[in-house]
Amino acid sequence: MDLNPPPGENYANPRICFFHVLFKAGALAFYILSALFFDSFVIIFVVTVLLSALDFWVVKNVSGRILVGLRWWNEIDDDGESVWKFECLDQESLARMNKKDSWLFWWTLYLTAVIWIFFGIFSLIRFQADYLLVVGVSLTLSIANIVGFTKCRKDAKKQIQQFASQTIANRFSSTIQSAFSAV
Amino acid sequence: MAHNERDTVPLNQSSQSDIDEIENLINYSVQSTVLPAQPPSPPRASIPVSSSPFIQSSLPPPPQKPAFVAPAVPPPVSNRSSNGQQQPSSMTGFGSPPNTLTEPVWDTVKRDLSRIVSNLKLVVFPNPFREDPGKALRDWDLWGPFFFIVFLGLTLSWSASVKKSEVFAVAFALLATGAVILTLNVLLLGGHIIFFQSLSLLGYCLFPLDVGALICMLKDNVILKIVVVCVTLAWSSWAAYPFISMAVNPRRKALALYPVLLMYVSVGFLIIAID
Repeated sequence: MDLNPPPGENYANPRICFFHVLFKAGALAFYILSALFFDSFVIIFVVTVLLSALDFWVVKNVSGRILVGLRWWNEIDDDGESVWKFECLDQESLARMNKKDSWLFWWTLYLTAVIWIFFGIFSLIRFQADYLLVVGVSLTLSIANIVGFTKCRKDAKKQIQQFASQTIANRFSSTIQSAFSAV
Repeated sequence: MAHNERDTVPLNQSSQSDIDEIENLINYSVQSTVLPAQPPSPPRASIPVSSSPFIQSSLPPPPQKPAFVAPAVPPPVSNRSSNGQQQPSSMTGFGSPPNTLTEPVWDTVKRDLSRIVSNLKLVVFPNPFREDPGKALRDWDLWGPFFFIVFLGLTLSWSASVKKSEVFAVAFALLATGAVILTLNVLLLGGHIIFFQSLSLLGYCLFPLDVGALICMLKDNVILKIVVVCVTLAWSSWAAYPFISMAVNPRRKALALYPVLLMYVSVGFLIIAID
């Protein structure tokens, strides 16, 4: 992963990118600045957690699908077992995804989690249990998304490799079959 | 003669196009160049968009998170049908992404909101599905519980004349950790319930207490408060009862139910005692 956005193309979905970043930045900014303006912890808590939850929803449902073509969710099947499902676009569309979009997606995803960890450490040092609660909730939401999408991406890569080797094997066997049938 | 004929007999239609497909895909994976968007050659049926082995990655759920709000894995199921086409998602990755993704986010929001409402109706109000609790909360989501807990915390905090922030923090933490612990209790008693489903259920059952807290906030009469809290408490317990009791062994029903009732009773006391 490089530090700079890939050159050349522009963002393919600027509005989605904007929203992807908006709620993350909003939650962080509110958390930092609120101490200056608000006395009440309740407002800080509710607004920060609300923004984090909205960010979670946006990333999971909107920017994940559009920017990187990945999606994950949980289902309960007929046996009553919970199943985590991971999906990705087919390979052509994946290859056509805008590189800048996906760079932004992954970088902001990891970066916010790191920043929340820093804030968590600060509030731990200062023994502020209630701020730790806020940070904890936001952090867990970020990590949930990171875990979900990373698993999704790994699964996608594995799937592509499996598929490629499978198709090579199929092709091989059908070549052999046609060779034998020609004999 | 026969030999020659066999030589020249072309492969049947579908295998030929399959081989074309396969060659294309191998080119993609090997060179990883972006080929221009060609329309896929005819029968793509053999190459599913999101191939089936991929789908059933029933990986264990991500590590258990402490705060209840955390796995707000809220609108999972809805996204499948967000593809406009109501296809079973297991076979269609995204259907045709550009069409459905240009559909505004507003639609997803509306669907999630309607899911919250339907879950609420299933859990809290009398309806025929209560007989089969396993099916009732199949479409769990955590947004409803999140809103109800925050609302309860806000109401309690508003009613309090002093120490508002602490009241809120305590209420939120109590409800969140309470829900997690109660779920663990059911699971440890050998019950068959899914973690998030149970969290979702316990959250939705807070709705009557929310209503009670609102009424108590508006009217400050002690007798009224006690009556209202008792009624809403009974309502919450009635709502939670079938789901919990069906989940565990009948001999352990009381063990599973008692902590739930205890939690709701303590929330009820909190509502009465706040001034």
